[in-house]
Amino acid sequence: MNNNRRRFLAALGAAPLIMHPLARALADDMPASLRGTKPVWIPANAPLSRVPTNLPIQGRVVVIGGGMAGATVAKYLRLWGGSGLQVILVERERTYVSSIMSNLVLSDALTIESLTFNWKRLMDRYGVKLVAGEVTAIDPAGKRVMLNGSSIPYDRLVVAPGIEFDPVAGLETAAAQDRVPHAWKAGAQTTILRKQIAAMPGGGVFLMSVPKAPYRCPPGPYERACIVADHLKRAKPRSKVIVLDENPAITVEKDLFTHAFNVVHAGVIDYRPGVGVQSVDAAAGTVKTSSGEMIKANVLNVIPNQRAGAILKEAGLTNSTDGRWSTVNELTYESTAAEGIHVLGDSAATMQPKAGHIANQEAKVCADVIVRGFLGLAPDPAPVTNSACYSPITAKTASWLTALYAYDPASKRMKPIAGGMGEGPASARNMEEMRQWFSNLMTDSYA
Amino acid sequence: MKARFSIVLVLGLIPLACVAQTAGAPPPGRLLASNCFQCHGTNGNAVSGFESLAGMSADKFAKEMRELKTDDDAGIMKPHAKAYTDAQLREIGRYFASQPRTRADR
Repeated sequence: MNNNRRRFLAALGAAPLIMHPLARALADDMPASLRGTKPVWIPANAPLSRVPTNLPIQGRVVVIGGGMAGATVAKYLRLWGGSGLQVILVERERTYVSSIMSNLVLSDALTIESLTFNWKRLMDRYGVKLVAGEVTAIDPAGKRVMLNGSSIPYDRLVVAPGIEFDPVAGLETAAAQDRVPHAWKAGAQTTILRKQIAAMPGGGVFLMSVPKAPYRCPPGPYERACIVADHLKRAKPRSKVIVLDENPAITVEKDLFTHAFNVVHAGVIDYRPGVGVQSVDAAAGTVKTSSGEMIKANVLNVIPNQRAGAILKEAGLTNSTDGRWSTVNELTYESTAAEGIHVLGDSAATMQPKAGHIANQEAKVCADVIVRGFLGLAPDPAPVTNSACYSPITAKTASWLTALYAYDPASKRMKPIAGGMGEGPASARNMEEMRQWFSNLMTDSYA
Repeated sequence: MKARFSIVLVLGLIPLACVAQTAGAPPPGRLLASNCFQCHGTNGNAVSGFESLAGMSADKFAKEMRELKTDDDAGIMKPHAKAYTDAQLREIGRYFASQPRTRADR
């Protein structure tokens, strides 16, 4: 960031007086125009220069949901499909708040504003049409989606609605949900949880739960436990973090997080595997565990079990064996329940993790499939995807986890590639890589 | 003798490749290469930190990736390098070599 811009932001009062080093680094990396709260400046000669005009495709794709998968597929359909391929992105929110990195808002290392994005670049640079609203129904036979009392016809539909949460006993009302936020979709609940942590007394108790796998962002809950513990050590001495994990053991990076819980954050994190949440009393601040124990805490952060976005259930597309997710042809992401409808990201039942980085890659595979389809070409028979994520372990260190997947024609599934998996230890270098990863990833999806 | 055989083979493939190429068809290597875009930028033009790959010679790309397969200091790049066959790495390298290097694209 140059001095002029720094002064400009300061003059607007947009920059806090004291910025955490990570927040400052991110502000330097990130295009301000990507964020929802900042002005957008597009050079007059720039519009649509990236969209080829000489491709022989005519058609329309409607995309439901502007998260990591939806934004990426919209961009790449235009970039790879050209100006004759109309892309309509339907989104109910005014901005997108990145869940990636959002645990760092809880420790005041980042602001929610620094994680807030919009779709203006996709509209201005790629000619994606944004429709504000919520799709209420899908008509697969008539090839149209319903919203705002009207309907939009499509040639191909991409549904990327993210996750829906299971109800939790005791958290039926909006007031109770505000009192016990999951903060597992970054946004207002993240801010509520941050304030609750800030109001904790020294020697307090933060209790969180890990949902039953599969859930969004496998390392995320363990990362949160580490970040909150690290923060409480400094800000609220003698406090404890109780982690109830419905799974029988830590689901990913087991050695790394075991070390983090037992050594790095020893005496702060109390990890209890195989223990779920039976019910919550929001007013009393207690949870009843699956083994019948009552635990009282200053802050309760129950992360519910998860399933595919509601619109998929409504449309009859949650056809996995357990009825929670959408089964897809893993070569094309086309629903096995409806022709012409692709399901991307967290809602799809594949062996790939539910996370933003790999959702971006699934979106590129899907965009390629759809473009080829309009050209009368078969899908690439050997797609590869990759998952990568960095997890802060302390305020100064982060670890990483990565896995690459390839299509296996025998099982017709995207399977991990032998040798293409790994994890890296908590280090300062990985913390530095984390912010570069985030800047490039968000730019690849939203700009 | 061996050289002449290779030339005949290559010349024999060119017309086939031309016939098979539909207008607007995805260029070879693009989808595989897009796995690098999350960290190295769309089409290999990174906005910060990580190396831009656009315009890098295909040979250099493939050689560096082959070396990363056994480099214990390569961090997250080691599993990424190991996941691809040498043929895939050459294809990805050719795609990035064909891409223009642009100013950090924000």
